[in-house]
Amino acid sequence: MTTLVMTMPDRRRLMALSIPFAAVVGSMAVGLLLIAVSGKSVPDAIEAFLDGAFGTAFAFGASINRAVALALIGLGFILAARANLTNVGGEGQIAVGGIAATALALWAPVAGLPLGLAVIVPLLAGTLAGAVWGGIAGVMKVRFGTNEVISTLLLGFVALLMVYWCVQSTALLRQPQTSSSTLPESLPIPDATKLPGLTGDPESPLHIGLGICLLLALATAIVLQRSTFGLRLRAIGLNELAARRAGMPGSILLVVALGIAGAFGGLTGAIMLQGEQFYLKAGFSSGYGFDGLVVGLLSRGSTLGVLAGALFFGFLRSGGISMEIMAGVPSALTLVIQGLIVIAVAGSVILVEKLEGGQR
Amino acid sequence: MEETLAIFIASTLRLAMPLMLAASGELVSERAGVLNLSLEGMMLTAAFFGALGSWATGNPFLGVGYAILAALAVAAVQAWLSVNLRANQLVVGIGFNILALGATTLLYRIIFGGLSREEIPGLPKLAVPGLSDLPFAGTAFFQQSVIVYFGFALILLIWWMLNQTSFGLAVRAVGDEPKSADKAGIPVARTRWLAVLITGAMAGMAGAFISIADIHTFTENMTNGAGYLALAAVIFGGWNIGRTIAACLLFGAATALQFQLPAMGINVPTAFLLMLPYLLALLAVAGVVGRLDPPTALTLPFQRGK
Repeated sequence: MTTLVMTMPDRRRLMALSIPFAAVVGSMAVGLLLIAVSGKSVPDAIEAFLDGAFGTAFAFGASINRAVALALIGLGFILAARANLTNVGGEGQIAVGGIAATALALWAPVAGLPLGLAVIVPLLAGTLAGAVWGGIAGVMKVRFGTNEVISTLLLGFVALLMVYWCVQSTALLRQPQTSSSTLPESLPIPDATKLPGLTGDPESPLHIGLGICLLLALATAIVLQRSTFGLRLRAIGLNELAARRAGMPGSILLVVALGIAGAFGGLTGAIMLQGEQFYLKAGFSSGYGFDGLVVGLLSRGSTLGVLAGALFFGFLRSGGISMEIMAGVPSALTLVIQGLIVIAVAGSVILVEKLEGGQR
Repeated sequence: MEETLAIFIASTLRLAMPLMLAASGELVSERAGVLNLSLEGMMLTAAFFGALGSWATGNPFLGVGYAILAALAVAAVQAWLSVNLRANQLVVGIGFNILALGATTLLYRIIFGGLSREEIPGLPKLAVPGLSDLPFAGTAFFQQSVIVYFGFALILLIWWMLNQTSFGLAVRAVGDEPKSADKAGIPVARTRWLAVLITGAMAGMAGAFISIADIHTFTENMTNGAGYLALAAVIFGGWNIGRTIAACLLFGAATALQFQLPAMGINVPTAFLLMLPYLLALLAVAGVVGRLDPPTALTLPFQRGK
C-alpha cells in the first residue's frame, strides 16, 4: 500500500490525509461548543486541559504512558489489519496480559530473579497470555470460519470477567481478606517487578515502556514494509485464495497475525500493570483496548500514524481528566470527541477513495 | 421451593426482556445485511432519553416515546453511513458506542447534576386480572411491567413480518443476494434503511425498558453490555427468531441465577454466571451448536454494478 500511496499525486495524497485532521479539528470544535453550552468557562477548561496534558513533569509523563498503551494496541491492530483481520479484542487482551503479569509478579520466586528478569518475566507472561487470547480467535477463524470481529469481541468480554473473577476470589489473585473492608483487588506487586523509570526525576511517572514501544514501532514498520512476512500478510489480506494457490501457508499466517495482535495487547496489559497501576482490579483495562483500536483505525495502516494518533489520544485523555477535576467539565467529553472522530473518519471512506483516484 | 422457582422465572423474564427486544430488532437488520454493533449505543441513548422524557413530562409512556425517537435518530445516522456512504459497519458501530457513552454521561451530569439517583416516574406493573392470582404462574408470568406483555406482542409481530410478509421476503433477499434482489426490482437501499430503523425502534423499547420500567432511574453506562449480549444472542440463535429469543431467555436465566443461587445457599462464582452468555455465544460461533448460516451479505455494502 505504501508504494501505491507514494506514486499518487502529492496534492491528492495530502487531501486524503487531511480528512482525519479535519475530523479531529471539527470534533474538538464540537467539544468546545459543548463546554460553552454547559455553562462552564471555556478558557478555564482549556487551561485545565493543557495543564493536565503537558503542564507538569508528572502530567507529561502520565500522558506519554497513556500514549504508549494506545500505540501498542494500535500497532498490533495494523499488523493484523494488513492481513485484512480486524482485532476488536484489545480490551480483553490487555486484561489477560494484566492477569498473567500480576500472577507472575506476585509469585514469590520471581521478585528475587537477577538481571532484570524480575521485570522481564511478568512482561513476557503478559505477552504470551495475550498471544494465546488472540491466537484462539485465529484458530476459530481457520478451523470454523468464525469472523474474528465477533470472536475477539466475545473473548474480550470473557477476559474482562476473568479479571473480575480473579480479584473477587482469594483463591485466585485477591489480596487476603483481613477485614470486611478489604477491597476486591490483588496485592500490590513487589518493587523489583516494577518497570524502571526512564528519567532520574522521581516526579515523572515516565517508564521504560516508552522505549519498548518505540522499538516495537520500528520493528512493526520494518516488518510491514521490508519483510517477506509483511508481504505475505498483505497478499493474504488482498486475496486469500490467490495467496494460498501461490503456496503461502494461509491458515498459519492468519493465526500468527491475530496471535501477534494479541501479544501486543497482552504486553500492553503487563506494561500498564508494572509501569503505573501496580495492582490488579476490576476494570483494569479502562477502555485502552477500544481507544487503541481507534488509533489503529485512524492511522490507516501507517506506523507513524499510530504513534501520532496515540500521542493525540494520550494527551486528550490526560487533559480530559484534568478538565473534570479542575474546571468541572465531565471527562466524558473526551469520549464524545473520540466517538465523533471515529464516525466522521469511517463515513468519509468514499471521499478518501475518490481522492486516491481508485488506485485501491 | 415452588415460590423460589416462580420468582426465578419472573426475574428471568424481566432480565431477558431488553435482550429479546433488542435482539429481535437487530435480527431484522442483520437479515437485511446490516450489522449494528451500535446496538449498545442505541440502547444506552434510549435509556437516557427515556429517563429524561419520563422525568421532564412526568409521564412514563411519553418517556418511552422519547426513548424510541432517540434510538431512531441514532439508527438513521447508522443507516445513512452504512447504506449510503458504505462505511465500515463495525467501525461506525464502535464509534457510536463511544459517542453514546460519552454523550449520555455528559448530558446526565449537565442536566441531572445534583439530582442524581432521583427516581423517575416508572411504568406500572400490570397484574393481569384473574391470572396474577394463580398459585404458580401468577408470580412467574403475570405480575410484570406492562412493557413485558407489549414486548412479547412486538416480537410476535416481527416474527410475522419476517416470515409471512413480502417485506420480510425483501429483507431476506437484500441480505442474502443483494444483486439478484436489485435485478428483481427490490429497492436494496430502502429495504436496508427500513430494517435498520426497525432495529432502532426495538433498541429504543429495550433501552426504555431498562431505565423506565426496570430500574426507574438513569445511571452512567447503565446498559452495561446488554447490547453486545443481544448481538451474541442473534449469533447464538443462528439468525432465526425463535432460537434468538431462546438464547435471550437462556442469557437472562444465567443472569438471574446470580441472585437466586446465593439465596438458595449454592455458591457459584458470580463472574462465572456473568461470563456464561459470552462463553455460550463463543461456542455457538465456533459451530459447536450446529453449523451457522449467517446472511450472505452481512456487513457488505451494496453498490449497483460492482
